[in-house]
Amino acid sequence: MEVDIGKTIRISDFISAADGRALLLDTTLPASVGASPGLTHIDEVLREVTEILDGIIVNPGQAEHHAELLGGRRRASPLVRVDWSNVYRGPDFCLPAAQFKHLFISDAEDALALGASAAVASLFLGFDDEAEAKNIESLSLLARDCYRLALPLVVDIRPIGFKVGPGNFEESIKLGVSFMQELGADVLIIPQCEMATCATIGNWIAVPVLVRLDEIPEAGQVEELLKTGLRGIVVGEKVIAQDDYAGQLTKLAEHLHYRRPDDGALPR
Amino acid sequence: MVRCPGKTARLNRLFNPRDGRAVCVAADHGWMSDVTPNVMELRRILELVVRGGADGILISFGTAVRHGHLLRGKDSPAMLIRADWMNMPRLGASNVSNVLPVVNFKKMATSRARDALLMGASAITIYYFIGYGDEFEAINIEQAADFAKECRKVGLPLIIEPMAVGGMVTGVNIAEILIASGRIAAEIGADALKIPYTGDVKSFKQLVDQAGVPVLVLGGAKSDVPRDALELVDEALRAGASGTVFGRNVTKAKDPEKMVSDIVALVHGGKTIAEILGERRALGQRLKPVPTQCVGCQLCEVACVRAHTPGYGQTRARLRIQFPPLGDELSPIRPVVCTLCGQCVEACQPGALTIGPDSRLVLERNLCTQCGACVEACPFDLIFTENGYPVVCDLCEGDPECVKWCKRGAIVLTEWKRRARHVHAE
Ligand code: SF4
Repeated sequence: MEVDIGKTIRISDFISAADGRALLLDTTLPASVGASPGLTHIDEVLREVTEILDGIIVNPGQAEHHAELLGGRRRASPLVRVDWSNVYRGPDFCLPAAQFKHLFISDAEDALALGASAAVASLFLGFDDEAEAKNIESLSLLARDCYRLALPLVVDIRPIGFKVGPGNFEESIKLGVSFMQELGADVLIIPQCEMATCATIGNWIAVPVLVRLDEIPEAGQVEELLKTGLRGIVVGEKVIAQDDYAGQLTKLAEHLHYRRPDDGALPR
Repeated sequence: MVRCPGKTARLNRLFNPRDGRAVCVAADHGWMSDVTPNVMELRRILELVVRGGADGILISFGTAVRHGHLLRGKDSPAMLIRADWMNMPRLGASNVSNVLPVVNFKKMATSRARDALLMGASAITIYYFIGYGDEFEAINIEQAADFAKECRKVGLPLIIEPMAVGGMVTGVNIAEILIASGRIAAEIGADALKIPYTGDVKSFKQLVDQAGVPVLVLGGAKSDVPRDALELVDEALRAGASGTVFGRNVTKAKDPEKMVSDIVALVHGGKTIAEILGERRALGQRLKPVPTQCVGCQLCEVACVRAHTPGYGQTRARLRIQFPPLGDELSPIRPVVCTLCGQCVEACQPGALTIGPDSRLVLERNLCTQCGACVEACPFDLIFTENGYPVVCDLCEGDPECVKWCKRGAIVLTEWKRRARHVHAE
């Protein structure tokens, strides 16, 4: 008997059981900075893309407010982000962040009650030691809760602290991936990085890894990425802010899942 | 929008299902600020508010225990419980209360959602302070998230009140911060917002639009004249707000019942302010300050003086820029202008001061006895005298220099309506 059947079923809600690939959208930035371009009206975005994507990462409030647009056959599954940070408040924000803050705004039980197919939280790397230790501690508590509740845990690796620069960015990603695999994460999201890094991670890691992209890649790039062993793509608000994002995402989903444009009937 | 049945049913008690709007009254001041008549006479005021037809009353847990029975019955207002406490009104040079000043800003969760539910509440309200530093905001977010989780569990709506205060908030960025904070609160799990007016319809519309949950505008400090409070409601409704949560503008009003029923007539009744106040016709324009836009450059004062008298200096300006006291990080810089409130006209026994048909104050010097009653009566302290005669804002012949000179739009012209008895016969 498979003991984690609950996790298996829930993961298959957003990573295709047929081809093991996934295309997700992350809509959670507004919890930090308010309505960002593209995500001013999240209901419109959800309505537009729910039948294109495999999963959508939402904050608890939006998961509750727009539950009717998520989940179910051939629609994106909700993945609930359970943490919050002010780290995305740059100098152009009306209230720039001076001190890094990261905390949890939901938990595994709450996410499960919201119909989540997974809980999502970030591992921030490169800030001070205290912040890193606290982040690891809270993620490990979450991992244990998720295990108990058979809720997949997706960790979003963010090497964006002051200690991270061009010289150690790629290695920081590998470190985060290693940490989170050891911690018990079920799926990982890594930032856009060099193909060599993707290949190293893809050849070694035992859990699905998705890469976060700010732009829709060309078909060739998707092929190249999948060859490294990575399992899919997470797009963020920058993609949604572009014209015809739904058309572009449809094409991306076709490349990712090897679907022909007219072949909507393939199992997902 | 889908919510759990408990939340839906309770929100339906607060927001009238016919129009989706609500008129709420905040009567929780004794829990956080000064012991003023609206705190000491709370029972009487609550009875008047109920009679006025409010849809909801925000009270503290203790008030709910003592006076909650006033809210019995299907048509009585929904009970909203203030589930947290803070000491902001007692900080430094705050203008609300300073009986027992405090140095450190504190905010605590004081009730659980479950306690409020058992008390019969239809929602809880909590603060979310932004602008007072990252540490304090993180505490606020964490508390809000805890409440949101518990509210989802027990099916109780959560109303979050974003408050943009602190050293990082200025007249320039406050509207932007409020807009962002409204959306952040909705992302965390707010079912509705109780939020200050941003100062103009355009930015408030942006706030309402981006929040994606019902928005109730709060009244803030008590307005000198009820019309100003009603105008704020009117503007917020035009921006798409779902109603109001007015506190001191109701609980400190001369007639709280009338104030509530006037707001109800505006929010639910589709009445205009002129209809509500018995005004008969529109008479042009008047000045309106937009404090959130003011940066304190005082160009308007210079422009005013130059338009009326030769030379420089601001002491003889017919408007004033009011700066917050030193050390007060909480209050905005505020243009104080003549709003044509009519109190000087009321006070003028010989009828020397009137409001002309073109909505300008007119002084007939031959009738003026130089008694100074108009100077005394002006609630904004704007009328001064020259050779014994009052000097009042005359709107610069209908084309006010202050409006033209203020490049930030902190003083604007707005439609003006007033009872005809103040007005010269045409
Ligand atoms: S000073 Fe003149 S204008 Fe003012 S109240 Fe007396 S009579 Fe009226």
